[in-house]
Amino acid sequence: MNILWTIITATALAALTFVDPQGVLGVCLDSCSQAVTTALSLCGIYCLWMGMFEVADRCRLVQGLAKCLSKLNKFLYGKIDKVAEQYISLNFASNLLGVGNAATPSAIAAIKQTEHAETLSRTGAMLFVVNATGVQLLPTTVIGLRASLGSVNPSDIILPNLIATVITSIVGVALVFCAYGRAK
Amino acid sequence: MSYAVPLLLVAILVVGLVKRVNVYDSFVLGAKKSVNLCLSVFPYLAAIFIMVNALHASGLDAYVTKLLAPPFALVGVPSEVVQLALLRPFSGSGSLAILTDVYKQYGVDSYVGRCASVIMGSSETVFYVASVYFAGTKVKRTGWAIPIALFCNILGAIAACLLCKIM
Repeated sequence: MNILWTIITATALAALTFVDPQGVLGVCLDSCSQAVTTALSLCGIYCLWMGMFEVADRCRLVQGLAKCLSKLNKFLYGKIDKVAEQYISLNFASNLLGVGNAATPSAIAAIKQTEHAETLSRTGAMLFVVNATGVQLLPTTVIGLRASLGSVNPSDIILPNLIATVITSIVGVALVFCAYGRAK
Repeated sequence: MSYAVPLLLVAILVVGLVKRVNVYDSFVLGAKKSVNLCLSVFPYLAAIFIMVNALHASGLDAYVTKLLAPPFALVGVPSEVVQLALLRPFSGSGSLAILTDVYKQYGVDSYVGRCASVIMGSSETVFYVASVYFAGTKVKRTGWAIPIALFCNILGAIAACLLCKIM
């Protein structure tokens, strides 16, 4: 990430200086204010879901969920600690429900439990790939946008979308198995 | 399906009530943690946004799109959606803007419009997710995680265009 970010940003800023020297500082400052507004709106979303998850956790609902998903978790992640397993289950359930923003706090909490070194572990890599290949069932944002722009059948992309998502998820998981071996 | 999330919220509260959990206190305790989470995520967001906006403002992204359009055309991805497929790993709001442009230019229900829809729906903002997930951990080397996710995104784009052709 260090090298990648530096190279891309430096190249882009150099090109921008060449095209529009007056615009450089403006672009950088705008980006940072954009980060402030995004972080604040994320804070609101996380606030709701983390509050609700805490309640669910106290009701032992999350433990129940982890039990339901234990076979799948064992296959994907192997033996992991109980707390991480609960967060991972919560993350999976949020993704399935299509509330991607609720999936983020639980994934972060799980990664805090599993990652202690500077190199990402197999568990962290698997969790990241599962999330980044989108196990989301309903692309709600896209359907909403299609409907608002007058599509005849805004939801006719659900099936191809589902198939594409399943393909990428399976390939992603398979590649993690190839790169890191089976779960221990 | 639109009832799922509202019902879930109500169900959590009701179960809390039945199990005599201090629902109010628990909610506040959980919600409090979100502030720290956002603080740890914020600088990473700023870094990603600077990179994405600089790429876009300098016109470098359009240049790269032009360069990569022919190989993508070989595997059936129309050149109009190449930019979407390329920007998607970096920026959610940026790719949503491109998606809207594609809809307006080609029509929501056209082949290109449907391709773009499926690409958007089946892919993720990989770099954004990576920076947010690994914020607040010691992780410096992410190994195969990002290459695998990017490869899957490209594969998803190709699959999307093929699927839209036959469906």
